Amino acid sequence: MKDSDPIVFVVDDDEPVREAVKRLIASVGLRVEAFGSTREFLDAKRPEAPACLVLDVRLPGASGLELQSDLAAANVQIPIIFITGHADVPMTVRAMKAGAVEFLTKPFRGQELLDAIQNAIAKDRVAWNDRTQMADLRARYHSLTPREKEVLVLVASGLLNKQIGAELGTSELTVKTHRARVMQKMGADSLADLVRMAERINPSGTITK
Amino acid sequence: MDSHPGSRRPASAILRSGLAVTLVAAALGLTLLLQNVFSTAGYLFFYAAVVASAWFGGKWSGWLAVILSALAVEYYFMAPIRSFGLSRESLPIFIEFSASALIVGWFSSWRRQAEAELRYARDELQLRVEERTAELKQTNRQLLAEMAERKRAEEAYYEAQAELARVTRMSAMGALAASISHEINQPLAAVVTNADACMMWLSSKPPNLEEARAAVDSIAQQGTRASEVVRHIRAMFTKATPERTKVLVNDLIREVSTLIEGAAARNQVALQTELGTDLSAIMGDRVQLQQVIVNLILNGIEAMSEVADRPRLLLIRSTMQSSDEVLVAVRDSGVGIAPKDEKRIFDAFFTTKAQGMGMGLSISHSIIEAHGGRLWASANSDHGATVQFALPAERETAS
Repeated sequence: MKDSDPIVFVVDDDEPVREAVKRLIASVGLRVEAFGSTREFLDAKRPEAPACLVLDVRLPGASGLELQSDLAAANVQIPIIFITGHADVPMTVRAMKAGAVEFLTKPFRGQELLDAIQNAIAKDRVAWNDRTQMADLRARYHSLTPREKEVLVLVASGLLNKQIGAELGTSELTVKTHRARVMQKMGADSLADLVRMAERINPSGTITK
Repeated sequence: MDSHPGSRRPASAILRSGLAVTLVAAALGLTLLLQNVFSTAGYLFFYAAVVASAWFGGKWSGWLAVILSALAVEYYFMAPIRSFGLSRESLPIFIEFSASALIVGWFSSWRRQAEAELRYARDELQLRVEERTAELKQTNRQLLAEMAERKRAEEAYYEAQAELARVTRMSAMGALAASISHEINQPLAAVVTNADACMMWLSSKPPNLEEARAAVDSIAQQGTRASEVVRHIRAMFTKATPERTKVLVNDLIREVSTLIEGAAARNQVALQTELGTDLSAIMGDRVQLQQVIVNLILNGIEAMSEVADRPRLLLIRSTMQSSDEVLVAVRDSGVGIAPKDEKRIFDAFFTTKAQGMGMGLSISHSIIEAHGGRLWASANSDHGATVQFALPAERETAS
């Protein structure tokens, strides 16, 4: 399996249930990793891949609902499917409001869980693509020299080569060379492409000269 | 002006003087008349005029009558007659008359005043008595209101207590039910999930028999785990009989009836007992057996809560069933038991009550069975049902 293949995390303190869920998920060919507590899950090194979390509500130590809010606080975006032995309405409402994708009451049918997992992974794949593209873009941006970064910002702000040269105190030709280098390093096909990339990296305008 | 509190009708000074003048004039007239007829007359009418003036006109009217009488007597009857001169012989008589008139007038007005004061005191007393009576009446009303309020508060208190007991029982049962359902749901979840996983592995191409076998293995284990939980719960209800003492069933019934009397009275249920005199003792747990009897009685009372067309009668009877069994029967005149329910009423969670948990008879059944006895129910031929249990008698104490 590749490192970027989707992965399902299972957190349940009841070992037989955990193993059964793991066995079920593995039967459809998905990668699966199971943990007995929220602590173990948080301590584990998680591969960068589209993922989802199958989480028991009632857990020793921090409960599933607490883990959900901890993850949100740490800005870890992972779709969560809750499973519980005894769900009440307030608990369900709280979990769903906090962004849970599904809330299943034990005992649940295997297909229900698998469907929920497929939905969650599809959802996370979009987010994951976004995340990896962004990381890629950032890496490319960081490979630019300081002068190239300046040129990128000025190009993105719509200035002509001549104006950029005046701004930076260099010749138009030098600017042209820098600009070609920036296009190449960023992997941009056109000027429009480059401007869009600059906007994505810097939606709030923190890249300034 | 006479401002004595005894003068009820404050008559004017003129009226009082007029009274004295009129009375003395009348006395003079009468005395003169009598003198003409009988040639002599006493001063009796003048005394009467003084007394009457002092009595009806007050002190000053009395004094005026005395003076007028003295003048009239002196003028008309003392020598020399029809003159204000006074002979030597007449002087003592005049002094005697004047002094007598003064004394009579003073005595009369003193009596009058004393009587007025007495009347005043009496009126005052009456007024006080009336005030006190009114106060007492008011206090009495307040007391009655307080008593009614207290009674209402007491009733509310008992109701709240009963409600609390019910809620406590319900929430304890709820917590127990939640805990039980969690304990059973865990293995069930593992079983269902493993079964689904097994199907998946079997239908994959090629089938993965190893994974399927592991899943089935786990199913068997988790099935066993669930049955362990169930066994554990059953043991919790039945095996908890740490105490086995000699128990007299009649004592239990008497104790329980005392406890239940209040509830019975509130529900307009007449509680009757027919306790056998030849009962053997039994061996058992007092508290648990009390629980059973309480439960049966409360069920009976509840079964009669809708009954309005016949007496609500609850009869608790104890007898020797045979030489070796003590029987306790609780008979009510309530709604009875539908024939189809006769067996099911002892199942856990079976209930016909809106608020019932369906645990009472089930637990009672378990307790009686744990004591080696039997508990059964039957519909009465007329109304209601009889729930009874038989417990093995202690042999040594059979009388």
